[in-house]
Amino acid sequence: MWRSLALAAALGTAVAAHAQQEVEVPKTPGWELIMRCVICHSVEIAVQQRFGPQGWSETLDRMIKYGAPIPPEDKAQLMAYLLRHYRDPAGR
Amino acid sequence: MPHETEAALSRRGFLIATGSTLAATALRPAAGDAQTPAPPPVPGKEKLIVRSSRPLNLEARVTDLTTYHTPESAFFVRNNYDAAPVDPAQWSMRIEGEVDNPVVLRLDDLRKLPALTQDVTLECAGNGRAFHQPRASGIQWEHGAVGTQRFTGVRLADVLALAKLRPAARHVAFDGVDKPPTPQAPDFIRSVPLWKALAPHTMLAFEMAGRPIPHLHGGPVRAIVPGFVGSASIKWLERVMALTEEFNGFYMKSNYTAPRADNDKEVYSLQSLEVKSVIVNPAEGARLAAGKVTAWGWAWAGEGELTGVDVSTDGGKTWTTATLVGPSDRYAWRQWEHAWDAAAGSHTLMARATDSLGRMQPASRAFNRLGYRWNVIHAVKVDVA
Ligand code: HEC
Repeated sequence: MWRSLALAAALGTAVAAHAQQEVEVPKTPGWELIMRCVICHSVEIAVQQRFGPQGWSETLDRMIKYGAPIPPEDKAQLMAYLLRHYRDPAGR
Repeated sequence: MPHETEAALSRRGFLIATGSTLAATALRPAAGDAQTPAPPPVPGKEKLIVRSSRPLNLEARVTDLTTYHTPESAFFVRNNYDAAPVDPAQWSMRIEGEVDNPVVLRLDDLRKLPALTQDVTLECAGNGRAFHQPRASGIQWEHGAVGTQRFTGVRLADVLALAKLRPAARHVAFDGVDKPPTPQAPDFIRSVPLWKALAPHTMLAFEMAGRPIPHLHGGPVRAIVPGFVGSASIKWLERVMALTEEFNGFYMKSNYTAPRADNDKEVYSLQSLEVKSVIVNPAEGARLAAGKVTAWGWAWAGEGELTGVDVSTDGGKTWTTATLVGPSDRYAWRQWEHAWDAAAGSHTLMARATDSLGRMQPASRAFNRLGYRWNVIHAVKVDVA
């Protein structure tokens, strides 16, 4: 079984190797953390979603369970970033 | 492959996905607001809208669904996880679980069984999700995650007979070579109840449109479960398991589920497609000349049999029966058409299908978290000059 941080380290090169433009995300504080999402899937999978705080929190917890390298302090920052740009006001 | 561990398989699956140019996704900060410009097209699939590049998810514009058999260039792609292409000469599949005679079969073994060819409409369970309010979880499909193909293969029942099903078998699960990005993430495995597995139309297909099934559509061998949501038709098959219960995994118990009608605190795993129709012509926003217009589209009903399509040209105030035309195959969509005498002004056209199970397309659909069962009446606004 892989540990999540080892996973990130092992894959960092592969991700960086494809540094061409495909999807843009707004450059506000926390945007670099989205780079950790593309370890497992394209960023479209993340940014097509619109959730409220509960929806994003549950989604990130599931990603962490799968091995996403997101320690608690980064989760808070990611939550703020996702809720700033990808929030559904009517959503959970 | 038998010598590799789960983890090694997963890692290999991941590295293949990451290494692929098609699949590569990178980031650059955007100057302004949240926006996602379209990722580069996939060769042969340039007409399709990219919903996700990794895993690959592509849908058609409904106006490109112009023929009974959907050309490969307009046929949607729904991958939960990507997979590396499988060499047909190396391909094999295990039949295991509640069987007395577990077997490993190769393509030549399948070709010795009686062949079956049929036209089947496949639709992703989440087709139409983008129209749910508030936004539902998952790929934001509009109308185009649907298409019809001619599949050739063998009956799953004949394959299960070779393995000698035990009486305790009640469900049959399919597993493909696609693997999740990490071992902690759920494998994409789905099961169907035994009645459906043994039904004479449920097949293991190796040809699509008379040629080997293309990799993006699940070749060398794909399960085809007509009438059920597309996710039952597992791609890149490598394992069939006979089970005493419904497969107990994320893609049966969590994803591909909807609230039960009798108790919305509980969910059920999706089986049949809904009764549904789409308008191909005229297109949304079309500007037409007054006079004769043939409004037409497709309608299908999953486990139901399509009984009719009604059309409205006045936003649903009045309805007339459309004419069903073209091929009529039990598990494929049916073309409908309506001769409309278009007068100057703005009009809303609607199509509404009904089926033998007493289902009719609704005017609204209750929100469900995962955005399934979208079969709300399709409406198209046009201007006639
Ligand atoms: C360790 C691998 C991994 C990482 C890293 C990862 N994901 Fe995921 N993600 C998955 C898997 C596997 C699925 C599909 C299964 C599922 O939906 O639970 C998924 C699906 C999703 C979905 C679709 C499911 C839904 O409910 O709509 C969203 C949204 C998502 N991920 C967001 C993110 C975000 C945001 C990040 C970065 C902070 C991230 N993911 C990082 C593995 C990962």
